[in-house]
Amino acid sequence: MRKLSFQEVVEKLNKFWSDKGCLIVAPLDIEVGAGTFHPATFFKSLGKEKWRAAYIQPSRRPCDGRYADNPLRLQHYYQYQVIIKPTAPDIRKIYLDSLKALGIDLKAHEARFVEDDWESPTLGASGLGWEVWLDSLEITQFTYFQQVAGIELDLVPCEITYGLERICMFIQERFNLFDLEWHNGVTYGDIHKQHEIEYSKYNFEEASIEMYSKMFEYFEKEANRLVDLGLVYPAYSFVLKASHAFNVLDARGAISQNERPRYIARVRGLAKRCAELYLTAPSNFTN
Amino acid sequence: MKRNVSDFLLEINVEELPASYVRPALAQLKEAFIEKLSRERIEHGEVRVFGTAATLLCYVKDMQLRQKELSQEIIGPPKKIAFDENGNPTPQGIGFAKNQGVDIKDLKIKQMPKGEYVFIVKKIKSKPAKEVLRGLMPEIVKSIGFPKTMKWDDSGVRFARPIESIAVLLDKENVKIKLGNVPAKFIKGASAGAYLKKLENAYMLDQDKRKIEIEHMIKAVQKKLGLDEYADKNLLEETNFLVKSPVLIIGDFDKKYLAIPKDVLAASMSKHQRVFTLSKNNKLINKFIAVIDGKGRSMAKMKKQYANILEARLKDSLFFYNEDIKKPLSDQTPKLKDLIFQKDLGNMFEKIQRLEELSSFISERIGIDTANKEDIKRAAYLCKSDLVTQMVGEFPSLQGVMGMEYALKSGEKKSVAIAIKEHYLPKGMDDSLPETIEGAILAISDRVDNIVGFLGSGIEPKGSFDPFGIRRNSQGLIQILNHKSIRLELSGLIKKAIEVYKGKLKISQEELEKKVLNYIKERLEFLAPDTRPIELKQAVLKSGCNDIVSVFKRVEALSEISAEKYFLKAAKVCERTSNILKGAVGAINDRPLQINDVKEELFKEDLEKEVWMAYTANNVAIKNLIKEERYKEATKAYGEAFFEALHRFFDNVLVNTEDSALRGNRLAMMQAINKLYTNDVADLALLPQIIIR
Repeated sequence: MRKLSFQEVVEKLNKFWSDKGCLIVAPLDIEVGAGTFHPATFFKSLGKEKWRAAYIQPSRRPCDGRYADNPLRLQHYYQYQVIIKPTAPDIRKIYLDSLKALGIDLKAHEARFVEDDWESPTLGASGLGWEVWLDSLEITQFTYFQQVAGIELDLVPCEITYGLERICMFIQERFNLFDLEWHNGVTYGDIHKQHEIEYSKYNFEEASIEMYSKMFEYFEKEANRLVDLGLVYPAYSFVLKASHAFNVLDARGAISQNERPRYIARVRGLAKRCAELYLTAPSNFTN
Repeated sequence: MKRNVSDFLLEINVEELPASYVRPALAQLKEAFIEKLSRERIEHGEVRVFGTAATLLCYVKDMQLRQKELSQEIIGPPKKIAFDENGNPTPQGIGFAKNQGVDIKDLKIKQMPKGEYVFIVKKIKSKPAKEVLRGLMPEIVKSIGFPKTMKWDDSGVRFARPIESIAVLLDKENVKIKLGNVPAKFIKGASAGAYLKKLENAYMLDQDKRKIEIEHMIKAVQKKLGLDEYADKNLLEETNFLVKSPVLIIGDFDKKYLAIPKDVLAASMSKHQRVFTLSKNNKLINKFIAVIDGKGRSMAKMKKQYANILEARLKDSLFFYNEDIKKPLSDQTPKLKDLIFQKDLGNMFEKIQRLEELSSFISERIGIDTANKEDIKRAAYLCKSDLVTQMVGEFPSLQGVMGMEYALKSGEKKSVAIAIKEHYLPKGMDDSLPETIEGAILAISDRVDNIVGFLGSGIEPKGSFDPFGIRRNSQGLIQILNHKSIRLELSGLIKKAIEVYKGKLKISQEELEKKVLNYIKERLEFLAPDTRPIELKQAVLKSGCNDIVSVFKRVEALSEISAEKYFLKAAKVCERTSNILKGAVGAINDRPLQINDVKEELFKEDLEKEVWMAYTANNVAIKNLIKEERYKEATKAYGEAFFEALHRFFDNVLVNTEDSALRGNRLAMMQAINKLYTNDVADLALLPQIIIR
């Protein structure tokens, strides 16, 4: 059987989860560190509303840049995010079926659930779950959320986050990210290598510390102002911008160990305000 | 005959538990069964527990199908109140019978210590075990505690991971229980025993057998390949709860990765990928063993995937390593300014500055050569620098180890490099200790800086919760000092450690010194070998724990001689002098007694002159023996010098006379004798009453 391309993996996952009753929503158009930051996960995890969605989310972690020198690390990569709320009793079986749908032979290979309790300090989110290993390659983070924005959840959602590059590595048996086939002979490297090199240089060497420091302050102020006005989504977008500004400053080495926890606490505080606002007027924010 | 016992089985099926949770959960499960079945008066045979990450199972042999009957005696009023002289029941007697729901004729009479009483025997009805188990099983499942629990539906039930189903089998009968929304698993047509057999045939259910089997399989491969026969203990325990039907894959990777330092390779392999490293003559080779679950997999494909994934990881490690060695280790040191030590105690750079001062102080105190002194100072400057390297950022457990590697790569002296690694030792109770004097001095400095800093900023252990490791640090400090026989005055060291914090600490110097010494003393009591009598340890500690080495020496020496007659004599001398001195502080004009308060011209009795002569004749010799740490001989000399003389003295001379000058003189003499020994050896008056036969 021909091995699936990166593009086909995404298509298959969209089809699979759509068949399971998920809305396939578009990725968020703001820099985020993970699919969890998307309102389709962050806000929709809150409250008593049932919700199922899936989407690809380009994600950025400036600290993980390696100038395209490292076979396993990128500062820009893709997550495929599924959120099922409330979780279904057979959710793990459904998940394993999704791997089969990608052509992975789970009799020949071993999928292993290895303890990993996920936590996002900036979002005040945490849960219990696993990393899923496929023959010792970590391909998915599987989490039963318990808290978001520090708020105990009414309905426990299950978050499934596929590392798309990792799954493709496994399927395509290529253990350098840049050699993965995106589609039709075009590689991941063709699309992203130059991007990685330039952004690594930018994040580590060139990003203006002065500008990002100021922007962080502006974004924080704006987010607070918008929460005061009751504009939850615009407020939240500024929380995300502040979070990204913090990540760039961090990569740039501009945040001392003393300051780090305080920055994180500031973003978490903003996220909490947005979440509380969202919950006070749920009728305004359902689809 | 109808059977009245059956085997019983509880099976909890759960989404994969963290590997480290399974064993404690099984232990709790067993304990809960034994305790609760006994409470419910259900007799039973052996209780066994089995488990994998996904199944917790408890098997009870020969469970009684009914609770044990219970008859209870209920005592009523005295016979003469319940019945009149004619033997007819009184209103009180009738009332008691009525209250207990029995007939008057069921009342019995019993002889009690206070006379004859009315009583009844009440039978408590026994229920079928099945009925009791229905209530008991949810209680038992819920009683299992975990470090972290979660909820997964609206039932409010919490467990470490979602429970998929529960089966309860009493012989062939499925017992229905209710626990949240957890579905019951029905086992068709099998008795508890047959079902257990079926599971055991399907996979290795018994955790202990499984673990032995995995270890055996690994060692068999190693033997066959002519390699060192060992299996990493922690990984073995974890692996045991990641698989249920273990199968081995032996794979290999590119030799070029053997250039990565051994500890990094081992961490990448055993900590991150959970594969076993292999070695020959203690050197890692480019092979690994993976333990996978289940037969019938594609071994060739899996082997290839494991190797590919391992190589990708190692490429990552090699990248960090090569990045880190681009610059000498000392270039990293200034970055410690950005690394916080503890929020009230400043950054790591300030910490190493203190360590430089403290280690120099110790070096001077114990008389280290100038050359070594410089090495220690250098090691102090570099000892935390690996914390800001990429490799330690990725593998925090490699702190110290990487410091040593990078120091060597940077052309630092070997003794400096080793000291960097050793200053983290011991990491726990049974860990190895620093072997070099450089490492030991740095390790002592780091520990005393931690203890003083944390306690000084108001952090203290609460019960068993000691997140900053104050006890662990104290323990390490004691172990190192004793192991390297470093003679160092603790109070001086603590003072210095407080001083180098330069006013950052919240607690006053005096109070802090006391606190620190108390923690060290507490740990010392724990660490010093047990003595006979047990009070001997206390006695030694009371005479000072400022010098750890001396404490251990005294405990050992005195333990060995504690049955000797001369030891008992010495103890008696301490006891008698101590007793007479109790309450005599401030005996002379309300000021403490001094040795020069003993005035020979005041002596009145020959016996007191005799005692004083014993003192003047022996005190220098005894002091010298103590100074030379010849504790056995000192004890002997002490006992023999004073025991008889004091005995006669106490029998014939009254110390506490009316004449205050005389009294003071005699008390001062008693104190001189007492302190001669108890000041520096042990206060033997703390031993239980001493009897000399």
